[in-house]
Amino acid sequence: MRSTMWIFILKRLVQGIFTVWFIATATFFAMHNVPGDPLLNDRATTDAIRANLEAKYGLDKPVMTQYGIYLGNLLQGDLGISFTQENREVNDIIRDHFPVSAILGILAVIFAAAGGVLWGALTAIYRNRWPDYVIMFLVILGISVPSFVVAAISQLFLVNVNGLFGTTVLPVAGWGTVLHMLVPAMVLGLGTMAYLTRLMRSSMLEIISSDFVRTAKAKGVPPARIFAKHQLRNAILPVITVLGPSIAAITTGGFVVELVFAIPGLGRYFVQAVQQLDYTVIMGTTVFYGAFLVFMVIVVDVLYGFIDPRVRMEY
Amino acid sequence: MTELLSADFRPLEAGQEIHGISRPSQSYWQDAWARLKTNKRALASLYLVIGLILFTVAGPWVWSVDPAQQDLDQISRPPGSERSALIVADYAPWDTEGLRFGEGLTLVGEATTQSVRLKWDALPGANGHRVYRNIFPVGPERSYGIPRAEFFDNSVVTFEDRLDLKVLTYYYVLVPLGPRGELLDNYEVIEVDVHRVTTVLEAIDQGLIEESSNLQIGDALNLDWHPLGTDYLGRDMLARLMAGARVSLFIGIGAPFLFVLFGVIYGSIAGFVGGRVDQLMMRFADFVVALPFLLFMILFKISFGIGPGESGVFPMLVAMVVLMWPATSRLVRGQILQIREQGYIHASQLLGAPRRYLILRHMIPNTLGVVLVTITFAIPSAIFTEAFLSFIGMGVAPPTPSWGSMSNEGIKTMLTTPHELIFPALFISITVLAFNLLGDGLRDALDARMRNQE
Amino acid sequence: MNSVKADNGASLLEVEDLAVEFDTYGGIVQAVRGVSFSVEKGKTLAIVGESGCGKSVTVQSMMGLIPMPPGRITSGSAKLKGQEILGRTVVNGKEIRGSEIGMIFQDPMTSLNPTMTIGDQIAEPLQVHRGYSYKKAFNEAIRLLEMSKIPEAAKRARQYPFEFSGGMLQRAMIAMAIACKPSILIADEPTTALDVTIQAQILDLLQDLQRETGMAVILITHDLGVVARMADEVAVMYAGKIVEHGMVDDVFYRSAHPYTLGLKEAMPTNDPSLQHELKPIEGSPPDLFSPPRGCGYCARCPYAMQICNQRQPDDTFLTESHFSRCWLHHVSSPNKPDQLYFKEEA
Repeated sequence: MRSTMWIFILKRLVQGIFTVWFIATATFFAMHNVPGDPLLNDRATTDAIRANLEAKYGLDKPVMTQYGIYLGNLLQGDLGISFTQENREVNDIIRDHFPVSAILGILAVIFAAAGGVLWGALTAIYRNRWPDYVIMFLVILGISVPSFVVAAISQLFLVNVNGLFGTTVLPVAGWGTVLHMLVPAMVLGLGTMAYLTRLMRSSMLEIISSDFVRTAKAKGVPPARIFAKHQLRNAILPVITVLGPSIAAITTGGFVVELVFAIPGLGRYFVQAVQQLDYTVIMGTTVFYGAFLVFMVIVVDVLYGFIDPRVRMEY
Repeated sequence: MTELLSADFRPLEAGQEIHGISRPSQSYWQDAWARLKTNKRALASLYLVIGLILFTVAGPWVWSVDPAQQDLDQISRPPGSERSALIVADYAPWDTEGLRFGEGLTLVGEATTQSVRLKWDALPGANGHRVYRNIFPVGPERSYGIPRAEFFDNSVVTFEDRLDLKVLTYYYVLVPLGPRGELLDNYEVIEVDVHRVTTVLEAIDQGLIEESSNLQIGDALNLDWHPLGTDYLGRDMLARLMAGARVSLFIGIGAPFLFVLFGVIYGSIAGFVGGRVDQLMMRFADFVVALPFLLFMILFKISFGIGPGESGVFPMLVAMVVLMWPATSRLVRGQILQIREQGYIHASQLLGAPRRYLILRHMIPNTLGVVLVTITFAIPSAIFTEAFLSFIGMGVAPPTPSWGSMSNEGIKTMLTTPHELIFPALFISITVLAFNLLGDGLRDALDARMRNQE
Repeated sequence: MNSVKADNGASLLEVEDLAVEFDTYGGIVQAVRGVSFSVEKGKTLAIVGESGCGKSVTVQSMMGLIPMPPGRITSGSAKLKGQEILGRTVVNGKEIRGSEIGMIFQDPMTSLNPTMTIGDQIAEPLQVHRGYSYKKAFNEAIRLLEMSKIPEAAKRARQYPFEFSGGMLQRAMIAMAIACKPSILIADEPTTALDVTIQAQILDLLQDLQRETGMAVILITHDLGVVARMADEVAVMYAGKIVEHGMVDDVFYRSAHPYTLGLKEAMPTNDPSLQHELKPIEGSPPDLFSPPRGCGYCARCPYAMQICNQRQPDDTFLTESHFSRCWLHHVSSPNKPDQLYFKEEA
């Protein structure tokens, strides 16, 4: 069992590498398709940067050669250098800004997953009674209101709260302390939490009416134990399978939250890079994000195997 | 118990109607429609969707205001705000001769959108003054607002503000300056209610009155009516919301139809042909799924490039189709593989049904429900994507309005004129809500497993 | 109402006039419409009928297993050793389910928790009802698996349901149901989902266990072969009512209801005394959304009369323990088909 599990992980990793290669290729050719020579427009490009870039990317050579150079650089873990900032490497940018996004994202994922499982289970148990109605109403709101509106409203709320107390209870924007992270993480996780709540609810409803829960009742197992031992574990399984895509949603959703709350994360930097058309940073960040997401999906898959014995055996 | 007659024991006749044996059978779609009709939420959202489409398509006939036209007299006006304006004389420079002082910071004359005139007495310890204008009271954090003027001379004790005055309550703050121009701790504040005025010339200029009309100074005049107010450039919100709806719904409904169509074709081919082709096609779909969606939307937008005067709607549509089809294709392929193994297909084949009949009679009707539900759920996500991209400035290019880009513009003035954010956000939310609830209802209604349950 | 036995207080379980209905999209379904029966210690009662006739709902409502809402018990009582158990699961501070009444289900594949080991699931009732420690309960679970004739029980107890075959799972289910030595075991179509070869083994196992523990068995099935092999008493259900009830020989050899006759004719057999051409019962059971005014079997009955479409028949007792609910048994009924058994004239 052990060794087959390692083979499974290895297989997924090889698949993952191929996927990252595909992402890198798509990125390269998408950016190569940009009309006009990106180096020819005068967007804050100094001669020094220009010379650097030409040497580094072989921009005077044919496309396929450039593609080869690009892949070679990627293999060495080099994501390139900035177009607009002299001597700034994309790796440095990611090193500086990604931890911020990661902390925010992890908090949001924890918030979303814990909340989704809890509320989902609750609504299923109280099906068609008032806790169900109240929570599902909020969930529908959470799904229907765009994250930037939620972000704006929560900022407005913070301004009013701070105004009410006359001091800064929670900072409205910026980064630094745990207090700075709290509200943005909640806003970021809210949409995913609503989605997971719905998923958990329907999964839980299916489990509640399943044959094996009926068996447990026929055995005389008390409701609390049925919930803990029979319902929760089985109902969580579908939630875990969508955790990978959810992480992706939260990661990119971070762009807006970082923008609105003025958080110096990679998402905000990416949006800036796009606005300045800093091509190499855009490419580097995209490939980095893509690789990160592929990796997260693999992690979730392996995690799933540990929880579901049926999948574990297939390793 | 009543007496039983021997007639009661006669045998039943063939064909005689038997009480309480069965209920009328319904076709799949009849049944689905009946179930949808009992679902109040789904029905309400269906009406809502129809209403939204009417708003988008028929709205511009009813409210034929040009969404690009700027009403400079009414900038960032919330709905239902006062729109009468007093006719005043043309602006004349302020003659400060003969003003009497000694009353502290006071307003001279009426505060109008033409000008606000202030006078004051030099504050204790002042070497000069700075005047701020704010739309909020100063508060404990001592936010003064935007600096409007600075005088390094105690002899200047008057200030006339003519900058972009709106019909608001302003707080003018007077702060004394120290010897080196630093702000001193004390300050004086005055609350000023600004009234709207206009001149005859301006009114004629904007077509509010005829040139021949005989209006006198002191008469009142009604400005253009904007039922939902105006935005930061004085454009009519209702007209812009309608124009924005066209863009948002075009992308929101058009893109899902296109990529679901593509997904259905791709998925059916893979499902039908099967074998190595299927493997290859699905592996490719896996790759596309792995692309970080929003990043590639942005990437494609850059890569397409948007020339001057283009709205960017078309590139966004293409990018969505390119990136969003795999989910549908997987679903349809799965359905087809599943249906192909069903007993009724084998039975039909045994009876000699041609391939075309199998596809038309069994495959398509049995996948249609799933596809319909997929489209319904794809619409809100497409609308969200458009809004998200436009919000971070990567969507449709200004001046083309969309609900997302309107929200983007509105969020900047969220604190002072929230209606500029609230209206587009509300439209996005209601549309997404309606399609989500409709999707839920459709799924429940079309899911055959749900029949005879609950 | 019409209980077969006079109430002498000796019956282990006494069910009186049980009625259950469900709220559905289409209206109210009256799934069980006044059912009475009793079960004696150590004996087997078989409840027979085709799908949707209310067999499972009858026993599940007794066990508090039907979801409420949409389900609803509208009338009746069920007394276990004289104590009312209908509508409650705890009697005298003791949980009835799992300790006094054990239950096994039709589909063992879905009736066991897929993410819990077999041993843990068998140990669970022991932990809950007997307060055993986990270790003690697990060891007892292994012993129970051995009792259910599962080889390598100690190893099997640590496996998950998906590693078991259907027959093995049903054995595990039985081990789980009898863990706390219940006085009644309810088997809801225990062999329907299994291969024919496995069916016999499971039935043997049930009989062995019944002999060893002296428990009563309520067997729900649509298979008359199983009934003939296992049952002491038989209740034939149709459209939410018991239409014929008696000792197994009465029902088989002196069938008094056209439906019982129909079931028999539709059953393949190698018993020479019952050899015949297979004959299906035409049509389908009535829709219980609007229960028929008259007899539910009217539409399919070859002997149907005008009165059958108008009014419900009453129970007619043929012997002390054998009754049939059919208009043909009415004194005024002119026709008495030869195939049916009628009360001998005194």
